[in-house]
Amino acid sequence: MRICKIYFVVLFFSFFLMTDLKADSEKMVLGLEVFNNKAMCSTCHVLKAAGSTGDIGPDLDSLKPSEEQVRSVVIEGLGVMPAFGEEGLLTSDEIDAVSYYVAHSSEK
Amino acid sequence: MKKRIIKKIDTSKRNFLTGSATLAGVAAATSVLPISIAKANHEDSDPKGLPDFIKWKNREALIVHSKKGIEAHRSAIGESIITPIRNVYIRNNMPTMTDAQIGDRNKWKLSVEGVKKPKTFTLAQLKKLGQTTIATVLQCSGNGRGFFEHGPKGSQWRTGAASCILWTGVPVKKIVSACGGIASGAKYMTCTGVDAPKDLDPKKATVERSVPLLVYKESILAWEMNGVPLPNAHGGPLRSVPPGYFGINNVKHLGKLAFTETESDVKYMKTSYRISPIGKKGPEYPSCWEMPVKSWIVRPTDETGVVKSGKVQIAGVAMGGTKKISNVRVSIDGGTWKKAKFVGPYLGKYAWRQFVFEANLAPGSHNLASKATAGGDSQPELRYENRRGYAHNGWKDHSVNVEVV
Ligand code: HEC
Repeated sequence: MRICKIYFVVLFFSFFLMTDLKADSEKMVLGLEVFNNKAMCSTCHVLKAAGSTGDIGPDLDSLKPSEEQVRSVVIEGLGVMPAFGEEGLLTSDEIDAVSYYVAHSSEK
Repeated sequence: MKKRIIKKIDTSKRNFLTGSATLAGVAAATSVLPISIAKANHEDSDPKGLPDFIKWKNREALIVHSKKGIEAHRSAIGESIITPIRNVYIRNNMPTMTDAQIGDRNKWKLSVEGVKKPKTFTLAQLKKLGQTTIATVLQCSGNGRGFFEHGPKGSQWRTGAASCILWTGVPVKKIVSACGGIASGAKYMTCTGVDAPKDLDPKKATVERSVPLLVYKESILAWEMNGVPLPNAHGGPLRSVPPGYFGINNVKHLGKLAFTETESDVKYMKTSYRISPIGKKGPEYPSCWEMPVKSWIVRPTDETGVVKSGKVQIAGVAMGGTKKISNVRVSIDGGTWKKAKFVGPYLGKYAWRQFVFEANLAPGSHNLASKATAGGDSQPELRYENRRGYAHNGWKDHSVNVEVV
């Protein structure tokens, strides 16, 4: 019964966030897609949430970058990492999504 | 369980289900979110263990920024000049080569070009050409980046991406004479690492660095570091050491030594490691080459614990880059400077020197700073602001605040 109550409370609050959550989840889905397929960040980075084990750049789980930090490096590139923004390899929506995804997926 | 939740949604919370947040929306949310957001919010931060390729390092001595960016604590670079190898920082652009990739170390190949008689040597052959040992400061170009306020990308090193190393290897001069001298027209010594993975664009992934030609006279190609065969993680079995030059120019897993008319055109030479103003970048800006004069205190610091009032030994390191360090001064009040004493043996101008300043500290807060001079240049008070946070040698950011009781 008590467990039910907890569910009730959790659900009650989560429904306030529902619209947001849906936008979030769409962003997360697109972010993951960009990470593993379109941009292939996965070939160079470890990110457990995406199941990736790339060993060229820093592992994102231990780096725990902020969303802004990801966005900026995805736009400008760094070392061997391509400048996905400046070279027009990703759209700004895709950059937003992958930045959001990485910032919310690295093991905080 | 699940049924019960759905029932609750249906019966009591229906009014919260808006058009966009349908049950399908809930399903979509649950399929993606638990892996990601759940992890982000509900797992304790990981213990930041050391990655496999450097399991042998001293975890307590190190700050792990990422598994590819690891620096020593300020108080862990050692107080006997040479940095213990287990405390030496890690900053590798490419994945460290494995024993399997390297194979028999004595058969490791180095090709030499831009000489009168180009040749390929094995490591065993290089060992027959000559041998010497030099002490140099190995320091990442970005050491001190963590002090920059504009948030430059890359590991946020403070003082620990630096070390003083004893290298053993063959002088480049000996290789040059074995190859009949340098070909005419050469202006640079260009070293190439062979660690770029095959599936990456070699122009972007090859670590190839050019330094001004005359640097070759003082350079060695090293196979030993602090008395042990050069570990893979530090570029084994062979690495170039152009003394006084930033870490990036000390090319790991060295496969080619060339004397060239122009600087290499790979990305790591042409556009990366350029010291440009914030908001600008490009090959026209200076490369991270010679290290500037620099010093910092290693004890006491906020890492070394409570400082008891009275007589205190303030210890640190001072380096001159390519110039001999002439003096280092210490301030305990953020303004007046007094000369510190150099202690321990002088290992040549490319090593750092240990300094000690004896102070009487009263209880309270103190700002302890050090300022070194080499070849007529003294450390500036402030950092030189630049896009990537390179070459920081300002004394103010490197000072320490201690509480004396
Ligand atoms: C070809 C390999 C490669 C690919 C593809 C790649 N990266 Fe990187 N990434 C790197 C390397 C190497 C670094 C570290 C560069 C350095 O420090 O010099 C890096 C650094 C980073 C950093 C840390 C930046 C900082 O502030 O230190 C983040 C975050 C990052 N990458 C995210 C991504 C994302 C997201 C993608 C896909 C959109 C991606 N990377 C694709 C190689 C890659």
